[in-house]
Amino acid sequence: MRHRLILRNVTHAFEDGGQRRMILDALNLQVAEGELVAVMGPSGSGKSTFLSIAGALLEPTSGEVLLDGEAIAGQYKQALSDMRLRKLGFIFQSANLIPYLKVREQLMLVAKLGGMDKTNATERARELLRELGLDHRRNAYPDKLSGGERQRVAIARALMNDPAVLLADEPTASLDASRGMDVVRMLAEEAKERGKSAVLVTHDERVLPLCDRVLYLENGCLLEK
Amino acid sequence: MYLAIREMRFAKVRYSLIAAIILLVAFLVLFVTGLARGLAYDNAASIQNMDATHFIMEKGSNHRFTRSEVGESLLYRASASAGEENVEPLGVKMTTVTADGTAQKLDVTLLGMRANSWLMPAVTEGKAISPQAPGEVLVDRKLKDTGIGLGTVIVDQASGLKWTVAGFVSQESFSHSPAVFLGEDQWAQLQRKSAAGPKAEAAGGTTYSAIAVKANKTLANKLAAALPAAEIVTKSDAVSAIPGYKEEQGSLWMMIVFLFVIASFVLAVFFYVVTIQKTSQFGILKAIGTRTAYLARSVALQVLLLSTASLIVSVLLVRAMEAVLPDGMPFQLQLSTLALTCAAFILMSLAGSLLSVWKVTRIDALDAIGRAAA
Ligand SMILES: Nc1ncnc2c1ncn2[C@@H]1O[C@H](COP(=O)(O)OP(=O)(O)OP(=O)(O)O)[C@@H](O)[C@H]1O
Ligand SMILES: [Mg+2]
Repeated sequence: MRHRLILRNVTHAFEDGGQRRMILDALNLQVAEGELVAVMGPSGSGKSTFLSIAGALLEPTSGEVLLDGEAIAGQYKQALSDMRLRKLGFIFQSANLIPYLKVREQLMLVAKLGGMDKTNATERARELLRELGLDHRRNAYPDKLSGGERQRVAIARALMNDPAVLLADEPTASLDASRGMDVVRMLAEEAKERGKSAVLVTHDERVLPLCDRVLYLENGCLLEK
Repeated sequence: MYLAIREMRFAKVRYSLIAAIILLVAFLVLFVTGLARGLAYDNAASIQNMDATHFIMEKGSNHRFTRSEVGESLLYRASASAGEENVEPLGVKMTTVTADGTAQKLDVTLLGMRANSWLMPAVTEGKAISPQAPGEVLVDRKLKDTGIGLGTVIVDQASGLKWTVAGFVSQESFSHSPAVFLGEDQWAQLQRKSAAGPKAEAAGGTTYSAIAVKANKTLANKLAAALPAAEIVTKSDAVSAIPGYKEEQGSLWMMIVFLFVIASFVLAVFFYVVTIQKTSQFGILKAIGTRTAYLARSVALQVLLLSTASLIVSVLLVRAMEAVLPDGMPFQLQLSTLALTCAAFILMSLAGSLLSVWKVTRIDALDAIGRAAA
């Protein structure tokens, strides 16, 4: 089985007012393709920090991150941008759509940046939007969408470039229970169908049954319970 | 391009307002430039209009027509050296005249030249002067406002000479005073009446202020060598030396430069504020893998589009304004000046966008996400 996301001995400390605070301490994680891993933990335990490191947004103090077998460490800024573009799909808690792009343009932008040709991109965007039940909203601006629709657009956008890894930071926080369930179900399905490694940070216990594994971030390490 | 255009389409009102402000700034810049050029032209129009490239003046005259005195012998030597057809004598004298029968005094500049000289401007109304009708003069159209018409007799206060207005010319002035064109014989009379200087007597003929020459560089050098006692002055130097010209242009230039500096500052701050407002959007775009260079280009392009569009509209507005401006308000915006000003404006707005571009490169994807999630 292939692991598309691997973190080895990842340690991260923040300098805070002269004090060094260890947030992640020799954290290890491997996510297989098709797998959706849920990460839980108390507020301030370092979940977002962990996700930022996995998502090439933050360089760890030490340790190694491999995306689809490729190391993040030591890459230039542009190369990191390109990695985020091609290998990663981010879904954040909220406000992650570009306000002035229509739903289908949100997807087309990613395709354009990734250098996908236009007919392919149009076809793929239509297909994704249909799958996520957004076809009728494809020419709407984000401010006219409901919270659930917005999150689904974010998922569609994250999937557009067919990334190796999906990372979601509390994507259900602004949604009601059933909408939240829908969103996570879609994530799980996409991961499975397209063979992606997915990590979901959440506080919502109700979505856990949809995940393949549940890990708890405690004292800087991920533990199974 | 993709982002820049879609954003403007989405936030039409906001970007229209921004465009309106840029438009006003551009209009101001163009309008003031036009007025400054207009004043510059109006000041020295008669000299600028002349086909001459150089003027031969007396040494030590500081390039000033009004201080220089050249005699006929110099004229002969200049003709011999540069060719008769390239050389014309020119007399310049600032004086006060009254229209016969009225008490109103008018400051004018008398320009004396041969009636058939290539210095003589085209007549817009009335008829040209000729040696056969001595005592006739051409005057600038501006004098019409003071009640002077065809056939009006004007009297020179200093010499008491009387002239009849035979025709009008347009856009002819010297040091902001309207020009009056005299024939050769009238100029000679004038010189005699107003107690000709000692040099004139020594030379035993009429004196002029300068000799206008049509010359290329080699010919100018040849003239300089042939006439060591005189000075060959380029047209632009001669124009700069007209009383008040340099000072006036200095102030106007100062105004234009400051206008540019202030406008670029205003635009820079303006774009910067807009960019700061969009920090989290840029953060998201970076997080999903947009390169910083792409975003920076997008910001600069947006500024370029806005300022170009605003500039085009303001050029049209300035042209419309020009058409309705009264005659007494000199305004001139030649194509070359216009192109230069527009280029400077575009450069300035691009410089103004640099601050925003810098800000965009400094935005950290992580910060933005933290803020968005907060
Ligand atoms: N840039 C930073 N500088 C200093 N300390 C930081 C920084 N970012 C995060 N921290 C600290 O690191 C710890 C972990 O933060 P993180 O955002 O990862 O927590 P979290 O598990 O995502 O919390 P929550 O569930 O509330 O989102 C917190 O104590 C936070 O104050
Ligand atoms: Mg968090």
